[in-house]
Formats: sequence, structure tokens, C-alpha cells
Amino acid sequence: MGGKLKVTYKYSLIALLSLSFTLSGCGGNNAATTGSAKEPASTESASANNGGKIEPFKVSAFIGVAGQQPTPDNKIYKKIKEETGASFDMEFLAGDINQKLGVMIAGQDYPDLMTGSTKLTAAGAYIPLEDLIEEHAPNLKAHYADYWNMMKDPNDGHIYILPNYGVYNGKVNSSWYSGPAFWIQKAVLKEFNYPKVKTLDQYFDLIEQYKAKYPKIDGSPTIGFEILNYDWKNWGLFNAPQHLIGHPNDGGVVVKDGVAEVFANKDYAKQYYQKLNEMNEKGIIDKETFVQNYDQYMAKLSSGTVLGMFDQHWNFNAAEDSLTTQNKIERTYVGLPLVYDESTKDHYRDLAVLNLNNGFGISINAKDPVKIIKLLDTLMDEKWQKLFSWGVEGEDYIVENGRFMRTQKQRDDAADATWQLGNKAKSLFEYLPKTEGSYSDGNSTDAAAQPEEYKAGLKPFDKEVLDAYGFNSYVDFFSDPPPNPVYYPAWSIDLIEGSDAKIASTKLNELQTKFLPKAILAKPAEFDSVWTDYTEQIEKANVKAYEDKINEQIKWRIENWSK
Amino acid sequence: MDETLEIDTGVRRPKKNKKKKQPITWRVIKNQNQLIWMSVPLMLYIILFAYVPVWGWTMAFQNYRPAKSFGEQEWVGLKQFKFLFTDDNFIRVLRNTLAMGVINLILGFVTAIVLALLLNEIKKVFWKRTVQTISYLPHFLSWIIVTGIVATSLSINDGIVNIVLMKLHLIKEPILWLSEGKYFWGIVGASHVWKEVGWNTIIYLAAIASIDPALYEAAEIDGANRYKKMMHVTLPGIKATIVILMIMSIGHVLEAGFEVQYLLGNGLVVDWAETIDIFVLKYGLAQGNYSLATAGGIFKTVVSVTLLLMANGISKRLGEERLL
Repeated sequence: MGGKLKVTYKYSLIALLSLSFTLSGCGGNNAATTGSAKEPASTESASANNGGKIEPFKVSAFIGVAGQQPTPDNKIYKKIKEETGASFDMEFLAGDINQKLGVMIAGQDYPDLMTGSTKLTAAGAYIPLEDLIEEHAPNLKAHYADYWNMMKDPNDGHIYILPNYGVYNGKVNSSWYSGPAFWIQKAVLKEFNYPKVKTLDQYFDLIEQYKAKYPKIDGSPTIGFEILNYDWKNWGLFNAPQHLIGHPNDGGVVVKDGVAEVFANKDYAKQYYQKLNEMNEKGIIDKETFVQNYDQYMAKLSSGTVLGMFDQHWNFNAAEDSLTTQNKIERTYVGLPLVYDESTKDHYRDLAVLNLNNGFGISINAKDPVKIIKLLDTLMDEKWQKLFSWGVEGEDYIVENGRFMRTQKQRDDAADATWQLGNKAKSLFEYLPKTEGSYSDGNSTDAAAQPEEYKAGLKPFDKEVLDAYGFNSYVDFFSDPPPNPVYYPAWSIDLIEGSDAKIASTKLNELQTKFLPKAILAKPAEFDSVWTDYTEQIEKANVKAYEDKINEQIKWRIENWSK
Repeated sequence: MDETLEIDTGVRRPKKNKKKKQPITWRVIKNQNQLIWMSVPLMLYIILFAYVPVWGWTMAFQNYRPAKSFGEQEWVGLKQFKFLFTDDNFIRVLRNTLAMGVINLILGFVTAIVLALLLNEIKKVFWKRTVQTISYLPHFLSWIIVTGIVATSLSINDGIVNIVLMKLHLIKEPILWLSEGKYFWGIVGASHVWKEVGWNTIIYLAAIASIDPALYEAAEIDGANRYKKMMHVTLPGIKATIVILMIMSIGHVLEAGFEVQYLLGNGLVVDWAETIDIFVLKYGLAQGNYSLATAGGIFKTVVSVTLLLMANGISKRLGEERLL
């Protein structure tokens, strides 16, 4: 009997062990911590830096884009650790963002800090910040004072995310245009002795002539015009018509007198696609343009054979860097604010707006939100801001008569991705609240925007181009932006996951992706029939729900954001 | 196997004699208690990972919001299924999924069996191993790499497919393969074959290896040549394996894939490229509508199980091997 019991005992032990192994794979739910984190314990607040003693603590952060870990001995992170005690444990996105967020939400598995996402907001993953800021973060409070109402979530009135860009202080210098434009190779402008290009027709005319004259560039066939329509990077195909009528970037709609309408099926859109159709017939547009992915697109731009495209500057910035490294400055691009006819004033450049739904929010799983908000508040200090943006004085920049400058060596370092990993806290700073414009001493917050620094860093060929036009920087190609309407831009309106408006916008997107390439590649005689087919499909797609939601939110913004 | 056993012992049993079922008594349980204990972890594993998740199916009948608890969820009945089945695109998406599923299934089977038969005929072990290794290596590449290779080979500048076809004078100018819907299914099928044929062959080679060499000798004495031996010895010898694998894969016909179509698809071929999985991603996951995604999953499971049972039933009727 005793022997048998022993055997039974043994087997049950095996069973138990194997069960515990299997179970340990399933993460626990964090419901318990959720409840307590929402009401931060105020007793702990004294412990952070106030007592003068620095206690080390770890902050985990999720960055919603792919990136590289900084080196372990990174200069800036080391300083942060020494002076505030905080060290960061960063997780970068690998793979698809929707999939990753879905997994995070399903498991309620959130790090302390997370970059903004309407999905996470909808899932209740962030804690409201307004009381925390009022109580513990005087710097942040002052920083966001003018934008307080804008930061509130339209659905429940709480502030969940600290916007990373769009809050300006002092004089705003800018020398780098990051937005949408029709881009053209500097070599094309040089070839025709720097003409003024205003309209779409003039633009394509130049490209056509240049392509006829130089059918090959460095041995490869010249590509006249490139249109990227890949995944979410689809504005290259969708957005141009609104700009061509002198409207700024509102995403999928044009807003006139506070009323939004979808422009995808309007006549001024048709005019643009018909022009592309004509150009395709002449062989100006890359044959592969609609089957390529982003990597192939970037590879083509980097080879210097593409004469022009419609895109946002930040989207192909890396290709220009590559061209610069290859010393093909004449193959880099100038952004042109094209319109249909010369009487229309261009409105590509806009005054920077608050980057809603972007930046950091604190998750419901964060153990000590007070400590984190205090840390963010400390980093808002000008001393830290300079360290993030310019680096260490003497090492990364020099001061001449109170103005910040860089030596050529420092300039080269700053552009070197490997150097950045050891000497910059780039991925963190990207999403932190930050001073933009000028510091209290008058220096620009961004090295590229410091006028004398920009001039000193210009390549000779760039100087030649700018001198030919009589401009100080490439931003001068664009008209000065008028003040933004209160609701601007409509593209930052959260359509709410799963709503009819969102479904309609997805449908519209699908139809554009399917029909516009078809229309552009069609024989010119067939263009009209494809277009009719397309507009009929759009009428069926309930775009009204989409327009209604935008209009409702525009109204809401006008009521709540007006000062 | 039974047959050889029977011959050895000389015992002849009537053909359709089912074994009499032994009643489960305490004695049996006691006798087999070690076996039962050994199976407990596996049972727990299956319950935990195969049955407990089925609970999640309840999501398909809700307007599921991640942050809320089960009691707080809003129940919406069959709304998600209605959305799925009434959408204009759904029929098209279903057609694509089935078409590519069937193409992959048939192409996969035919090529794997043919390659196995051919490999079996190679007498030099070195060449056999080399061919086998080269053909199964692509299995270990991820689809993102494979689609990259496919897109590059089909490119009109310097794509190897166009170059070869031009050199052979089969076409006059390069074809933009990925811009035409009519080629898309073929391209997906061919990519699948390239990636998986070697891997799928392994199991058939194993089955062939277990065929009694005496049968080949007997066939040879009867004057069978190579092809006759292939047709009358090798193929019947692996028939059981083929049928079982066929039944199993029929259950997976709706798993035509997601990655290939998603990564190779574009606006021009979307009517041929979109599968159920992509549709569910677009209108389910990407919209934060997890309920719709679950509904799509349930639909696929139901169809798969039905197909599996049908295939199994047919096979039973025909007196072939079966799975269940």
C-alpha cells in the first residue's frame, strides 16, 4: 500500500509540475495594479529629487516605430541617470504596429510610457494627466498653457498624451521644409537655367524636356515621375489635388468655410489624374510605380535617376542623405509648391500645429506616475532641452558670441547614425515634450534652423541654386503661411475605431488604391469610363458618414479650442 | 502491417471483424493507472490551449472593448457575421481565398509527389542529397524574404523572369507581372511551390523508403521497367500517406495565406489578391474591431471542419484510409 501511494504521489507531482510549467506561460492580468495606479499615492512624491538624494529608478517605454537601441554607455542617458536617477528601458516596434498594439491591449501588457495611439486611448491604456500636471509639473504646465484645451480628448475631456511637437516659444527660424510638395531634381532646374516653376504644366514640361535630353543617368534609364502608393504611405497618390487648388493639407477632405468635403471624386481631382494619365502615355511615369513597395521606391530615389515625385520631405529624407553621401548633390531635390494656374496662391507650408495623438502618455500599469511626470517635468528644463537638441557644449557644439555653432567635424558627427547611438538620446527626445523655436538666450532649438549654422553647412552647389533664386533657404520657395483656422488640420481628427466614419474612410481608401492606378494607366480614351466607374463606387461607399464625423469634430474644435 | 502479422502467425480472422470493446472497469483503470497519469499533462495541455481559447469565441457576438470586463461587454448577436457576409467584397474575398487555397493544395501535392518519385530514382546518393537539400532550403526563409525575391525576379528592369523569357524569344517586351490580376494566383502558387516543395517531399521519401524491396524485385522478375515500377509499386505503396495528408490539408484550404498576398498585392491586383485574412485585418484588427476578426476566425474554422469531415467521409466511402 505504501509503495502504491508513493507511486501515485510521484505521478501527481509530475502532473503538477507540467501544469505549472504550462501555466507559467500565461501572463497574469494586471487588474490589481490598474486600480491603484489611477490614484497615485501622494506620499511617495517627496522621494524623487526633492530630498536632494537621488534614487535610481527604471522607466520602461514603448516606442511605436522601429528604431535602434542606444549604446549602453550613451552619453546623454548616462547624464540623465546621474542627475535624476532615471534609466530607460526602451522597446521599439518590430513588425506591424496594429498587430503589436492588439497584442499589448489583449494582454493589458503596458510599459510605463507609451507613444501616442488612438487605439491605446480607446482601450483605456493611459491615465488622465491633467491633475498630475497641475500638482507636480510646473514646467509642463507652463509649456502647454496655451494648448491646454486642445490636448483634451474630444470623447471624454481628459488629457492622455503630451504632444511632442507643435508648441512654440520665441522666434521660429526654419530652414528645412518637411512637408508635402512636388519635388524636382536640382540638376533639372540647373539645366534650364533656374526657371521659376509655378504650375503643374510647367513642372511636367521641364521633366519631359530633361528626360528627352538625358534618357540615361549614370547608365540607368531616367525615370520622369514616381508615385508611391504603398500601405499607409499613400499620400503620394491621394493628396496632391487639394494642394493644386491652393488648399493646405487636411488629409482626405477639403474644408471651405468650416465645411468639409471629400475631394477624391471632385473635378479638380480628375484634372490631376487626367494629367498623370497623359504623362503616363508619354512614358514619363515609371511603369513599375504602382507595384513597388517603399524599399524599392527609396532605392530608385537613392540611385539619382528619378527626376520628380509628389511626397512629404520626411518620407524620403533618407534617400537624399544617401545621395549626399554619394556626393550627388545635384540629384537631391527642391520642393515646389505647384498650383493649377498662376493666379492661385500656394498654401503648402503651414504654421506648425500641435501634434495631437503623438508623444508620450503614461500607462495604467505605471507603478509611480508621479515620479514619471516629475522626471518629464525636469527634462523640460532648458538645460536638458539644450542637451537633447544640441548636445554637450564644447563637445558637440561651440558658442561664439553667445551664438551656438558647429565645426565641420561636429556637423559630420551629428549626421552620422552610428555616432548618434552613443551620443544622442534621439528616440527618447523625439517623443518628449520639447521647446521649439528659440531658447531664452535667442538660439534656435534646432541646429538646422540656426541661420548662421545653416549657411555655414551649405554645400557649394546648394549655394549656387539658392543664389540663382535669391533665397536664403529652400523654405523660401514656399509662400509664407497665413494663420491656421482653429480646427486645422482635419487629418488629426480621431474617427474612432470601428465607427461608420472609420469604415467609410477605409472603403474610400480602398477604392482610391484600386481605381486611381487603373485610371492613370488606362489608354487616354478609356480614362473617362474608368473615372465614372470610380465616382459611382464612391457614391455607394457612405462617405457621408465620414464627412459628418469630420464636420462634427470641426464644430467641436471651434467651440472648445477658440480662446 | 496487420497482414504481415497475420501471415506470420497463420491466424486468419474474418475481414471485417471489429475488435470487441473491453468495458472500462475499475480494474482496467487500476491496471493502467500509470498510463493514465502519463496522459494527464497532455490532456491538460490540450484543454488549456485548444479548448479554453474557444471561450474567446464569445467575442464574436459582442461589441468587444478590450479594457472592459466580460460582464460589461455589449452583446450584439450576429451583427459581426452580418457585416461580414453582406459586404460587397466578401464573395470576392472568399473566391480568392478558395481559389488560391485549392491551387496551393493541388500544385503542392503534385509537385511534391513528382519530386519524391524522381528523387527516388536517382541512384547516386550524393546527387540525391544535393537536390534534396537545395530544394528544401527555401522552406526556412520567411515570406517577407521570399516575396522580396519574387518581386525582384519579376521586375521589368533586370528581373530574371523577364530576361529569360526575352532571351528565349517567348515575349517581345518585359511583362509587368505584378500589375495584372490574371497572373496573380499563378504567381502565388508558384512561390508556394518554390518555397515548400522540397520540404513536402521529405515525408513521401520516408514513405517510399518503407516499401518492401522484395516487391521491386518481384516486379523486376515479372518484367516491369522503371516507369511500371513507379506506377505499380511506388505509388500504391505511398497511397495511404497521400490520402491522409490530403484529408488533413483539405481542412486548411481556407488558410490560403496572408503574407504573400499582403506583401505582393497592390491596388491593381487587389480584386484577385485580397483573402479573408487580409479583409479581416483591414476591417477587424486595423479598426480595433476584434469582434469582427473573431467572427472571421469562426467562419473559417467552421468551413474547415466541414471540409475535413466531408473529405474523411468520402474517403471512407471509397474504402480508403481515413483520419478519423
